[in-house]
Amino acid sequence: MSELMDRPARRDLADGGWANVVERTPGPADLDPARHAARRRRRDTVLRVGAPLLLLLVWQLVSMTGALSPNLWPSPAKVFGAFLEMLRIGLLQEATLASMNRLLVGYAVGAVAGYVVGLALGEIRPLRIALVPIVSALYTVPKLAILPLLLLIFGLGDAPKVILIAMGVFFILAISTVANVIGVAETDREPAASFHSSWLQTQVHVVIPAIVPGTFTALRIACGNALLILVGMEFIQGESGLGYLIWNSWQLYRADRMYVGIVVVAVLGALFQSLVGWIGQRLAPWAQLTDRTPV
Amino acid sequence: MSQNPLPVAERAGAVAGSVKIAIEGVEKRFDARRRIVHALGPLDLEIRSGEFVCLVGPSGCGKSTLLRLLAGLARPSAGDVRIGVRDPRRPLTAMVFQDYSIYPWKTVRQNVEFPLLVNGLSKGERRARADQWLDRTGLAQFADSHPAQLSGGMKQRVSIARAFAMEPEILLMDEPFAALDAQMRFILQDELLQLWQEHRRTVLFITHNLDEALLLGDRVAVMSARPGRIIADLEVPFDRPRTGEIRGSAEFAELEQQLWQLLRAEVEATRGGVDV
Repeated sequence: MSELMDRPARRDLADGGWANVVERTPGPADLDPARHAARRRRRDTVLRVGAPLLLLLVWQLVSMTGALSPNLWPSPAKVFGAFLEMLRIGLLQEATLASMNRLLVGYAVGAVAGYVVGLALGEIRPLRIALVPIVSALYTVPKLAILPLLLLIFGLGDAPKVILIAMGVFFILAISTVANVIGVAETDREPAASFHSSWLQTQVHVVIPAIVPGTFTALRIACGNALLILVGMEFIQGESGLGYLIWNSWQLYRADRMYVGIVVVAVLGALFQSLVGWIGQRLAPWAQLTDRTPV
Repeated sequence: MSQNPLPVAERAGAVAGSVKIAIEGVEKRFDARRRIVHALGPLDLEIRSGEFVCLVGPSGCGKSTLLRLLAGLARPSAGDVRIGVRDPRRPLTAMVFQDYSIYPWKTVRQNVEFPLLVNGLSKGERRARADQWLDRTGLAQFADSHPAQLSGGMKQRVSIARAFAMEPEILLMDEPFAALDAQMRFILQDELLQLWQEHRRTVLFITHNLDEALLLGDRVAVMSARPGRIIADLEVPFDRPRTGEIRGSAEFAELEQQLWQLLRAEVEATRGGVDV
């Protein structure tokens, strides 16, 4: 390296009467890749953990100044106290269990049905022409608007809630799967066709793998939608679940318990989404679904 | 185009044949899944102002990496690249990519105008300059088409028009004709020769194709297998202006054979190796 330090060529370039000289030299990431990668991982961790902590800290500090009504905005410390109490008496576990049960059953039914219908509509043109406009029209009907109808048909049990969640998930999966299937490139289909693969073989080896990334994006969006419908319905009807807990705490002026419910719903939603994303990444290692930090 | 501002600007204040690009001890290593891949170098190369240099080498030897370093798309792991700038207000480099890299959602004209927009040219100037180059590259009637409606050769013309319209000091071309059929390649090579002979600027042109390198270049630099170094650097003796006809000469065939002898051992060294 040392003989490179006094370069005669530097003078050559200076002879050219240039306005200036641009240099391309190694950056910090090039000089010490390992250290750079380690520093980036550390920074990511700080950001990931630090951002919610900072938010909590600000909330705590503001409520300590007394500027916020403690009845409406209890401090994080008070909410945490309520959280422990609700765990002790089993209130939180019961509500979470009831909600998760509805959520997972509805989500699974809706996702599978939406995916299958989406595949069929995407692959079978006459079906697509006939049904896609109807599916799109139904999609725009607010799900909660048909709750009364479902209550009439299915009574007051879990069935109407599960069905509504399934419907919410169904439309997201069906509509995006149609788009994904149509979007499969001819250059992906044609090699299989040239091997004379059957329709089923083409589905298994080309179409389904090709749409995995899009499918998991839809599945992740559907997570949030399913939770939204669930909480909304538990507000309106029934006496169990996290939505009911939030609404009921509010009516009883237990703002601290209400926040516990809200935070638990939010955390569950985030966990649910990252779980789906993680599964997708396992199933499709060739696609970039989550934020894999390049080295 | 009777008027052509660029060569005048190149000549003004330029010291003829001065070194434009100095590459010294440049290396590039990639961290691929906890394994360090030594992709390039140490490599030294000098390119003079207005020179057309072709770079040939076996696949995976780091040719494209070198080009990306010059374009500022990546930084070296060691060593440095210095580039003399004539006019800081003008784009220093423009790149022509192998896979065209034109935007499917922009029309042909919008694609050519895009770098000019980025460089702050007014709407009128952009339009005028784009149309001039679309005309020059035979694309005028496709100005409002989208790339999906064009053939591969046409797309690559758009990419070339875009690069020339930027009027950069240095053109970086990364196997621009590799994806084209032989006939289209011949035609575009002739067109590029003509364009360059009229609008001389510094070019670094990467190719697999020895015939192409000899036809286009003032110099041909030969790279070794990975990690790529320069193992030979030869002057191409044919006079300018050239046309594709020089291919028929005995001297051409002899030079091509000579290059192939140099390259053969390197290509064989990469057999069974992996591409980065």
